[in-house]
This record gives sequence, C-alpha cells and structure tokens, in this order.
Amino acid sequence: MDIASGLLHGFAVALQPSNVIWCFVGCLLGTIVGIMPGLGPAATIALLLPLTFKMDPSGGIIMLAGIYYGAKYGGSTTSILLNIPGESSSVVTCLDGYQMARKGRAGAALGIAAIASFVAGTVGVIGLTLVAPPVAAFALSFSSPEYFALMCLGLALVVLLSGASLLKGLLSLLLGLWLTSIGTDLFTAQSRFIFGQATLLGGIDFMVVAIGVFAIGEVLGSVEDGEEAKVLPVPRGFRNLLPNAEELKACRFAFLNGSITGFLVGCLPGGGATISSFIAYGIEKAVSKHPEQFGKGAPEGVAAPEGANNADTGGALVPLLTLGIPSGGSTAIMLSALVLWGVKPGPLMMQESPDVFWGLVASMYIGNVVLLILNLPLVPLFAQILRLPVYVLFPIIFGISIVGAYGASGRMFDLGLLVGFGLLGYAMSKLKYPSAPLILGFVLGDAMERALRQSLMMSQGDLLTLVERPISAIMLSLALVILLIPLFGWLNRLRVRAITENG
Amino acid sequence: MNRRELLVGTASALVAGTAGPAFAQFKPARPIEFVVHGGPGSGNDVFARTITTIIDQEKLLPVRIQVVNKPGGGSTSAAAYVVSKKNDPHVIACFTNIWLLDPLVQEAATNKLLDMSPIARLVVEPALVVVRTDSPFKTLKEFIDAAKAKPGALKMSGGSITSRENTVRQLLMQLTGARWAFISFPSGGERIAALLGGHVDMMIVDPSEAGEQVRAGKLRVIAQVNERRLPHFLDTPTIKEAGFDIPNVPQMRGVVGAPGMSAETVAFYEDLLLKTSKTAGWQKFVEDSQLDNEFVKAADLKAFLTKFEGELREILKAAGAKVVR
Repeated sequence: MDIASGLLHGFAVALQPSNVIWCFVGCLLGTIVGIMPGLGPAATIALLLPLTFKMDPSGGIIMLAGIYYGAKYGGSTTSILLNIPGESSSVVTCLDGYQMARKGRAGAALGIAAIASFVAGTVGVIGLTLVAPPVAAFALSFSSPEYFALMCLGLALVVLLSGASLLKGLLSLLLGLWLTSIGTDLFTAQSRFIFGQATLLGGIDFMVVAIGVFAIGEVLGSVEDGEEAKVLPVPRGFRNLLPNAEELKACRFAFLNGSITGFLVGCLPGGGATISSFIAYGIEKAVSKHPEQFGKGAPEGVAAPEGANNADTGGALVPLLTLGIPSGGSTAIMLSALVLWGVKPGPLMMQESPDVFWGLVASMYIGNVVLLILNLPLVPLFAQILRLPVYVLFPIIFGISIVGAYGASGRMFDLGLLVGFGLLGYAMSKLKYPSAPLILGFVLGDAMERALRQSLMMSQGDLLTLVERPISAIMLSLALVILLIPLFGWLNRLRVRAITENG
Repeated sequence: MNRRELLVGTASALVAGTAGPAFAQFKPARPIEFVVHGGPGSGNDVFARTITTIIDQEKLLPVRIQVVNKPGGGSTSAAAYVVSKKNDPHVIACFTNIWLLDPLVQEAATNKLLDMSPIARLVVEPALVVVRTDSPFKTLKEFIDAAKAKPGALKMSGGSITSRENTVRQLLMQLTGARWAFISFPSGGERIAALLGGHVDMMIVDPSEAGEQVRAGKLRVIAQVNERRLPHFLDTPTIKEAGFDIPNVPQMRGVVGAPGMSAETVAFYEDLLLKTSKTAGWQKFVEDSQLDNEFVKAADLKAFLTKFEGELREILKAAGAKVVR
C-alpha cells in the first residue's frame, strides 16, 4: 500500500464515529493527565489498559495514543501559570512561560503553547507518514558515541542558560550532574552517594527536583519579597488573553525548530521529549537576535520546547510502528497493548495490520485538531487562576507541588526531598545562581555518562571512537563552538579595552 | 521496561471456569495487601494485577486483595515494607530474581528474601540467544569460537551486571574460556536497537520481545536459555543441547509472605495460588506471554532459593561485582 492510499484508508478507519469518539476521549484524558503534575501518561495508560481489552485494536490504540500526546499539550498549563511543570517534558517551558505570566501575558503564553503543540504535533505526524522507514534506519545508526555527542551538545547549552555569570552557571550544572549520579549504577550495580539510605538506591525523581527548585523556590522567594498585596496582572477582555500578531510572528522560527528537533530526537530510542525540549530551547536562544530576553518572558522560549515535546510524539512512534522498538515508558505500554489485542507490532506490522497503522496515523491528524479546539477555549479560563490573591494562590501551589511530588512515587521520603530542593531553589535565586543549568545537568548527565562508558566498553577503551564517527564528530565540534562563544566575547572585550586604553 | 514484563496483563479479560472456596485453617479477617516493587504499569505490577483479577473473578478469596506499589531502589523499598509488616498474615508480595540479588550487592539493602516467608514460585521466563540475520554466526558454537579467537572484540547488549543475560554470559565464559564484552543499556528498546543497528553482535532476550524481529527475518535465534525447547522455536537447541553444559539460570516470579508467617497461613496462600494457576485465564496468559508454568511449593521453595542464592553469589563474584553478603 503506498502512502496516499494508506493514508486515505487510515482516514476511513479514523473517521468511523466510534473511533472519533475514542480519539476525543483519549485527548481529553490526556489533557487532564498533563495538567496534573505527578500523574504521567505512562501510568495512566497502564491503569486503563485492562479496560481496553475488549476494544477493537484500532479504537484502542487511537485512544491510548490520544492520552500520550494529549498529556504533552496539557503539561504546559501549570508550568506557565504556577511554575510547576506538569510533565518532565514541560520543565523548560517554566523558564519563559512563567515569566510571561508574571508580565500579564499568561493567556498569550498558554495560547502559544497550544499553537506550537498543534503545529509541531502535526509536523511530527507528517514526518511519521512520509519518512518513517528512512528515519527509523537513521535512528538505528545512532550508537553510543553519537548519543554521547548529542548529550555533550545539550550540556554545552549551559553557556546560553547561565545568564550573567558563567562560573555560577557551571557550578549549578555541576550540582545537577552530581545529583543525577545518586543511586544505583547500571554498569556495576553499586550504589553511589546514597549515604546509607536504601530509599536513595533508585536515585532522585526528576519531577521532585524540578518542582522543588522551580515552584517551591519561587513561592518562598515571592513571600519574602513581600508580594502579599500584589496580584499578578491579568488583562481583561478575550483578545488580550490570546497571543497577538507580534508574538506569533516572533515564534515563526520556533515552531519550525521545535517541530524538526522534536521529531528527530524523538525517533532515537535513547532520546525523549525532555531532552528534545531542552535542545530546541537551546537552539532557539543560540540563533535568536535578542537572546537576552530569554528567561524573561520570550514567547519563542515557550514555543520551541512546547513544539519539540509534541513533535517528539510522531518521532517516538517511528521506531515503535516500523520496527517494534519502544523508545520510552508510554510507547512500551502501547506496544504491549498491541500484543494483547492480537496485533503483532514489529517490522511487518505496516503490511499485516494496515488498519491499525494507518488508522492511528490518520487519527493523530484529527487528534491534534481536537486538542487545539479543546485547549484554546480553556486558555482564558485557566488564566483567571492568577486573579486569586497570593494568600490563596501560594497555598494552592504548595498543595499541587506536594501532590505532584508524592504522586510520582508514593513515598513520604520524596516530600522531604521536595522541601530540601525548595530551599535549594530559594537559596540559589537569593544568591543569583541560575537554576536552569542544574536541571539541564540532571536531565542529561545520566544519559551522557552512560553513553561515554558504553562507547569506551565497545571500543575497548579507545577514546578516538568518539571522533572517528562522522555524526558524533560533527556534534562534538558544534558543542565546542558553543562553549567557545563566551571566550570570543571575553577576548573581544579585552581587545576593545586594550585599544581604548592605548588609544 | 521490557516487553515481557508488560505483557503480563492479559489474563484479566480472559478468565473463565469455576473453583470452590479455600478450606484451610487461616481465615483472612481484612483485605490482603499484595506488594509489588514496581510502579503502576511495570512488569510486576501488571503480573500482580493479573493474579488479583483472576482471584476476584473466580471468587477464590472471601476478602478483597489489592496491589500495593512500593517502587524505589530495585526491590529494596518493597522488601523493607514487607519486613516492617512482620507477623501480619495479610501481607504478601510478588518477588523476582532482583529480590535475591539486591541484598547480595547493595550494602543498604538489608532485608533478605529468605528472611521472609516464601510461599510459591509461579513461573519462569525463558530467553533466546539472538544475532542479526546478516551475522556470520549460525550457531552458538560459532559465536563462542569467534570470541575465543579475538578476546574482547565481540559485544553483547543487556541490562545491569546482575541481570540474567550477564549471568549466562559469565557461565559460558567460565566454561569455554572465551571472552566478550557486555554493554549495559537501561531499556529493552535500546538493547534491541543496538543489536539491530549493528553496534553489538549478540543479545539474550525474551521471546516476546524478539519474536517479531525473528519472524521478519531481522534476527536469528542461535540458542535458547531454558530447560526445554519453546513451542515456537522447536528447531533451535537449548544451550545445553548446543554442547555447553552450564546450569540453567531461571528468571522467576513468585509470591512471598511477611516474616513470621505461620505454616497454616503459608499453606492457605499456597493453595490459593495453586488454584489460580489452574484457571483457564492463567493458562492462556502464560501461553500468550511465552512463560513457563513452573509451580514450586513452599516446602521446596526455601531450599531452591537458598541454593540459587549461593550460585548467584559465586557468579556475581566471578563477574567482578562487589558482593557484600
């Protein structure tokens, strides 16, 4: 079946009334799951799985996929309004989204997030439709040296995320790298930095760190600043609650960047939405004409990561549907669901079960439209939450944070950690240490260390393996260039000073 | 998370048949807690929920049985919880190999499986030794000969150093003197992608995970890690049949009670699980996920676990892991 007739067949399946309803149900559930921190799409799909056994496979996978990508739409809501990331892939959205909200552009930020999600989500599905087989081959060609280079490229972004002082940024990054090494080492099964605490054997949950440093730290800082009387500005009128033409124009490149970065990183079995959202944000800031506005409420800083984490869906489904390889928790559960319905996910699925494959692909075009329609009208509604006086708002933020941190693991110990990271976030903002590099180190450090050790084990200890392969060599050089940018700036200042002093 | 672990959810929809009430001296007075060491959706969670669904649908218990998730630190959080419920006859847990392994290699994991009350082993999970179809190795012997010729040059992908695939590798290397590298990857998807992409030469994998790749002609099975041949792979020898006489390393799932459980209570749960494993739903589920029904009763389980723990300790030492107990 060629692509055009396949897709037509897919729409015939996806537009059956029952399947449209399943698509809507999945998207709605996904949006709710996305908004609730601590409740992730993987756990939701797992809990709903027994209910889908009697469903037709096409309808079932359409609904489960709806939960998966719907959660990524919803994840930005609490990031923007309350500085609490709803999903790990929406952590970067906090950086500029919350700042936009503080400037009275909460509605605009939510609108941009929804539009970016729609555009990039659709681009991701187009990619899945048109280029799935070659992209799958590309993903398989990625070996550990390439993953190492990709993570290095990500870590080099610290230069762009550091703000005024690179030294403080690097210290913050190092702290993140250390925190991510806590727990059991995969290679030796030995524990590291657990201080005799068996509860730390599994490491620290990313959401606990992110919620603590961002949400709790922010509230503590605001309380001290005496913001009791100040209410965040929420402009009146529907039009002021949506992004204006200027903001949308500024995001043109971000939509494209997020779409492509998200799709390509998403198709790698060791990639994922969180990493792709960071990289898209970094690229956006690197090419921006006004990088100084990032972190202070730049609309592109919302559009790029929100786009990336939605384009990631199409990417992640490439290895799942063409090769039968899951690239993360949610896709792994969707894979086992397919097996339970009697579909055989693997290299032969496209030919043997065209209803499921093309039905799912077509339903995702529909799902993205459904989510846009579902999310845009909610924007003004959600923006109203900021009208609450802070003595109501701050306890709500604390409450959601605690539920979110506890919900991820169900351990009281994590609430203690949450308090600790909240105090850390507060101290860092008092001392003017940027928190973004810490989060960056935490996300990438683990994967980078693993990729390096895998590379060296494969090459029997030969470091040259990292630069002998073309893709990894290119990415490592790019990382080096990014790292050297501040050095050039510093040399330039020295030169200018020398000229003026001599002149 | 690997595919087999997730597959373990089928039975809930497929249960049929009848069973009588359990006659034993112990009578549960309140709902039973069934502890698992993974979060919702993890392999053990789905496995345990399959069991509870069958028990509910077949009305095998006069009280409710509910899954309690205690994730964190491999099995350590769950083990600590079970031990904290000492002498409580209403707390049981689903164990796997990791419950034996964690206390062996982790100083902080102080709660040993053998200090609890073993009730029954339910299933063992077979595995396949696979290579790419375009690989020069047609048999396990060819792979091992090549590994002997160029020590350390060949590679296999797998999980942690304590995983079953590494245990099998260690045993094969000790027997033959061959040497090849073991590259750890956190997820099943990355392991199989490394093999398909040509970055490693071999892997030991669940049949449910590799079956489709084999059918599509991407992977070739060169041996089976099991006591006997699997119905889907009757043409492929087991490792022993291939001429390598190493002990079989079972990957098991079973049920254990809180410490201090009386013999009557253990007998009650043993009977309950035996009835569960006789249901049509259970049989269908075991077949679909290509598991082996290997029911071991409480009386034999303790001896089996003690022996197996000793074997694992020696294998881990030989593998270079730091064994603390």
